[in-house]
Amino acid sequence: MKQIAYYPGCTLYTKSKNLDLCARETAQILGVELKELETWNCCGAIYSTVQDDLANQVAPIRNLIEAQKISNKLVTLCAACYNVLKRSNHNLFLPENDIYRRRMMNFLDTEYDGKTETVHYLEVLKNDIGFENLKTKVKTNLDGLKVASYYGCLMLRPSDELNFDDPDNPTMMDDMFAALGAEPVEFPFKGECCGGYVLVDKPDVATRCSQTILESIVDAGADCVATTCPLCQYNIDNQQKLMSKQFNLPVFYFTQLLGLALNVDQKILNLDNHYIDPKPLLKQKGLLK
Amino acid sequence: MKSDKKRIGVFVCHCGINIAGTVNIPEVVKRLKEQADVIEVIDHQYCCSDPGQNLIKETIKEKKLDSVVVACCSPTLHEPTFRKTVSSVGINPYNCEIANIREQCSWVTDDKEKATDKATKIIKTIIKKVEHDEPLTPITIPVTRKALVIGAGVAGIQTALDIATAGYPVILLDKNPSIGGHMSQLSETFPTLDCSQCILTPKMVEAKQHPNITLMTYSEIESISGYLGNFKVKVRQKAKYVDWDKCTGCDVCVDKCPKKTPDEFNHGLTQRKAIYKMFPQAVPNRVVIDAPNCLYLEKGACRLCEKHCPFGAIKFDDQDQITELEVGALVMATGYELLDKQMLGSYGFGKLKNVVDGLQFERILSASGPFMGEVKRPSDGKIPEKVVFVQCAGSRDPENAMAYCSKICCMYTAKQAILYKHRVHHGEPIIFYIDVRTGGKGFEEFYKRATDEGVLYIRGKVSKIFEKGDKVIVWGADTLTGKKIEVEADLVVLSTAMKPAATKEFAQLLKLTQDEYGWFTEAHPKLRPVETLAGGFFLAGACQGPKDIPEAVAQSSGAASKVIGLFTSDTLEHLPVIAGVNEDMCSGCGICIDVCPYKARELVTTEDGKKRTVKVIEVLCEGCGACSAACPVGAAQQKNFKDQQIQDMVKGGLE
Repeated sequence: MKQIAYYPGCTLYTKSKNLDLCARETAQILGVELKELETWNCCGAIYSTVQDDLANQVAPIRNLIEAQKISNKLVTLCAACYNVLKRSNHNLFLPENDIYRRRMMNFLDTEYDGKTETVHYLEVLKNDIGFENLKTKVKTNLDGLKVASYYGCLMLRPSDELNFDDPDNPTMMDDMFAALGAEPVEFPFKGECCGGYVLVDKPDVATRCSQTILESIVDAGADCVATTCPLCQYNIDNQQKLMSKQFNLPVFYFTQLLGLALNVDQKILNLDNHYIDPKPLLKQKGLLK
Repeated sequence: MKSDKKRIGVFVCHCGINIAGTVNIPEVVKRLKEQADVIEVIDHQYCCSDPGQNLIKETIKEKKLDSVVVACCSPTLHEPTFRKTVSSVGINPYNCEIANIREQCSWVTDDKEKATDKATKIIKTIIKKVEHDEPLTPITIPVTRKALVIGAGVAGIQTALDIATAGYPVILLDKNPSIGGHMSQLSETFPTLDCSQCILTPKMVEAKQHPNITLMTYSEIESISGYLGNFKVKVRQKAKYVDWDKCTGCDVCVDKCPKKTPDEFNHGLTQRKAIYKMFPQAVPNRVVIDAPNCLYLEKGACRLCEKHCPFGAIKFDDQDQITELEVGALVMATGYELLDKQMLGSYGFGKLKNVVDGLQFERILSASGPFMGEVKRPSDGKIPEKVVFVQCAGSRDPENAMAYCSKICCMYTAKQAILYKHRVHHGEPIIFYIDVRTGGKGFEEFYKRATDEGVLYIRGKVSKIFEKGDKVIVWGADTLTGKKIEVEADLVVLSTAMKPAATKEFAQLLKLTQDEYGWFTEAHPKLRPVETLAGGFFLAGACQGPKDIPEAVAQSSGAASKVIGLFTSDTLEHLPVIAGVNEDMCSGCGICIDVCPYKARELVTTEDGKKRTVKVIEVLCEGCGACSAACPVGAAQQKNFKDQQIQDMVKGGLE
């Protein structure tokens, strides 16, 4: 089986186990092994990724170097990890950072040529496995489920460095859901900020951000939301309790719905770990017994 | 002593204190007299003055000089002066050379000693050049006194009328079935609010009726060859499927045609038929069949137009026709297009029905537009109560679209807001702007009029536009108050950036240069704005950069006057300081052909048919010297800049 280096990151080991486990399991079914790095550390997400201060980026670079033992690709799922890992590699090889790079390599006592390409699991599904191929592997067709794919900001921007999808009109997750038989729903805030870390000191601002997103998703007629980012999931699922309007809209990780379509064990899907219980919706749609 | 030794005179100019203030001129004269192999060295206060020129003439006669070096200012300034001076007393003008001791010496230092040394060296270098200069004669070429104007918008029409009125035949070509261009789509024009069609259609009719103008509409350039004064242009006239000699433009066929397709003239706001006339005042007032949409031509059934045409003008077996034209000059008047809304992701990718661009709103305002001049919105035909105008949509935005200012948008947005307010009295026009640029006659007053008439200006950029129910939500910032703004609008008008209509392929076909955005490059941004670096090609209107109507018209008349100037004589003179080829040395490798920026070199077989060699098309060569530098065997030699001369000049400078 094809092995690709895999970086779960801290949140996927704790709060977002369902994002992690569903990804590993579905990849296995689709013929790819997500091989976890032997050792890994924080991706560096809480530090800045400014281009001229590489000291903060030693942590992500260490992960990239570690990945070389397995493959030239490093798969990740969390939008923040994806953003930081990919941009750190970009920053490290900017011509003006030659001196810093040498200093960092001396410190890490190693050499690294920048070959580790950080890819998102969605990109693996699209490019390595292929959505057409994925279509043939579907066991439970998600027919009738209207899904709003919410990408958030970190996957898409800065677009010239991440080069993930069109920052104004991303479609990769929508295309995947179409392959699973679900109905992708268009709404104008696919790449808008969920409120992110502002939640800690300005919860009202963060809640306003996520409420705007949810309102437009409901207006667009979606049954549920799918996201790639633990922080987005938290802000638009758990924070529904703080909102001035009650939406009762389930928020999945995209890997959970993928797992559902591929008949992954319910224990792994872990549908209990949500503020808005998604099970009634899935039962109503006949996707869950 | 060799008998062909040159008799050289050197004249050193003080240029008041411009040169003499830094260069010790008596010392330079002394050194030259001692060290250089010349007949005479004289200095003068102002060589370019009448007494200075007379001194040169008298000295030439007295000392029987055959070559002259004038050490003075840059050759771009007085080289022509002194060359005329020497030729008036019988010396070939190309045996007079300038040693630039002002811009390249006295002006760039305060060190008198070094300046004096350098001036001496510069003059010695030029003396070495003159020693091997040959007498040259300008090249004479014939001129076909007929012009081709490509693009028949207001710029093309104006150019054609001016040239034609001066008495020269003009072919006015357009890719569309009618002339008129974008101006025929506009409602009213700023800052006077006169009706665009009312002022344009008389010019269109004049162009059609003018005895010296031939219209070639629905036509495109196929290929072009030749050079200044002598172009051969192949034109493809697209199949119209209608005999225009029989058609009267009565529109019976249009009424009967069952096939509808989006109307380009109304920018997709309405449908037109497969057989159509662009607009009621079209010139020529004829119909064409758009083949890909015609049921008969595509699927083999229908022929209703043929059945109902009272004049038997329908011609389903029509073919594209290739015509070969011979012209002496070409004027580009290809104009502009608007940036595609699909480029503007955060403004809805062109998917939102009630987000229109500037030209679409012109059509909405136009009396002949989709709503007969009533302001309605495209989605449901409701009268919009609140209209948001977004300036700089894609302009001044180097990250996402164009870095430049599209120049016309501030004024046309103000105009559109005023016209909207005139038609919908209770309506609320809101304009988002970065700056309001009103550099033009009557423009600032017009902007003031807009604010006085109740147009709300908000300084800030719009970040996002999306639909919510039947409203269009506009998110923006008011940078004067620092507040985030959300407007629930009924209609949004994007002042999308202007971009050149001419494609890269078209420019390559004509071998014209474009800037990074595709605007045609003028020969000099200040002093030669209507010419291009390619001889015989001129620029009119917005193909050279964003322009409003008066500017486009002014530039068109400028381009026309250049063409008329070219046509005043039936021959042309071309500078003889160009490249030559030593056929015996040329190996026919063709390296020089690739480096020549003017396409002035071609591979030919020698007359005896024995070898391949390169030939210079003398009228195209501008004497840049790229070929001489590139030639691996030294066969390409620039006249009066031969390798030997340059080596001597280097030696002269190092002595």
